Amino acid sequence: MNNLTASDSQLMSLYRNGNEAAFEQIVKRHKSKVFTTIYLIVKDRYIAEDLLQDTFIKVVNTVKSGRYNEEGKFLPWVLRIAHNLAIDHFRKAKRYPTIVMEDGSHVFNTLSFADESAETEQIRKEVHHKLRKLIQDLPDAQKEVLIMRHYMKMSFQEIADVTQVSINTALGRMRYALINLRKSMEKYNIAYDKNLYP
Amino acid sequence: MIKTFTPDDLIRYMYHETTDAEKAAIEQALVTDTDFAHEYRQLKTLMSSLETVKEEPSQKSVDAILAYSKSINLHSVPK
Repeated sequence: MNNLTASDSQLMSLYRNGNEAAFEQIVKRHKSKVFTTIYLIVKDRYIAEDLLQDTFIKVVNTVKSGRYNEEGKFLPWVLRIAHNLAIDHFRKAKRYPTIVMEDGSHVFNTLSFADESAETEQIRKEVHHKLRKLIQDLPDAQKEVLIMRHYMKMSFQEIADVTQVSINTALGRMRYALINLRKSMEKYNIAYDKNLYP
Repeated sequence: MIKTFTPDDLIRYMYHETTDAEKAAIEQALVTDTDFAHEYRQLKTLMSSLETVKEEPSQKSVDAILAYSKSINLHSVPK
């Protein structure tokens, strides 16, 4: 079986039998989604790096102790772990506020694009940075639904169940999140440019 | 009778959560209702923007995760 084309379920099955290459493949496949989910919640790159490691340590411990349940899908499961760790951290940070000196602009956006001019790259980084800030500044309930639906790929019904609201409330929060984002993008003149994001 | 769709219907459509019948009706409305089609294009643009907000962790973190996994033997973790 080729690890590159294997499903998550197949990779996890291999990993349960001790295949570390399969685990490496599944980490590479999902690291960005997991990291983005955490980062949008905790707003700090260095804490997000730590929580990413904590998330996958839980995965390793669960699998290697024989407790991994193959019935569930891997990605929603690992994203749930990441989300819970990020929320736990966020709650603790609110109780014990710390001052974080962070510029971080040099490490934003490590995606590489071929044949881009330095100027285009710089504009893309700025738009990316501003948009992420707008998401982070959304009201908590709206941000939570946006992250769960858009980045964690949970259905609105799953979100409603987890957050203990009706599906209409979850949909309404998503609608307001999108409306607020659109308004903010207009306010701060953050344009979507098809030349930057084809 | 012409069915009027709500913004929530459109959001469910964008995230592929409509039934086949709803999907067909919404796609018909997108052809005939210019305001609805405009709303759809705006939402699609916004969602494309959201797709760009993807962050990558450092290779150091990834290496640490893989090293941890290799250091743990199968079934050695206490339940």
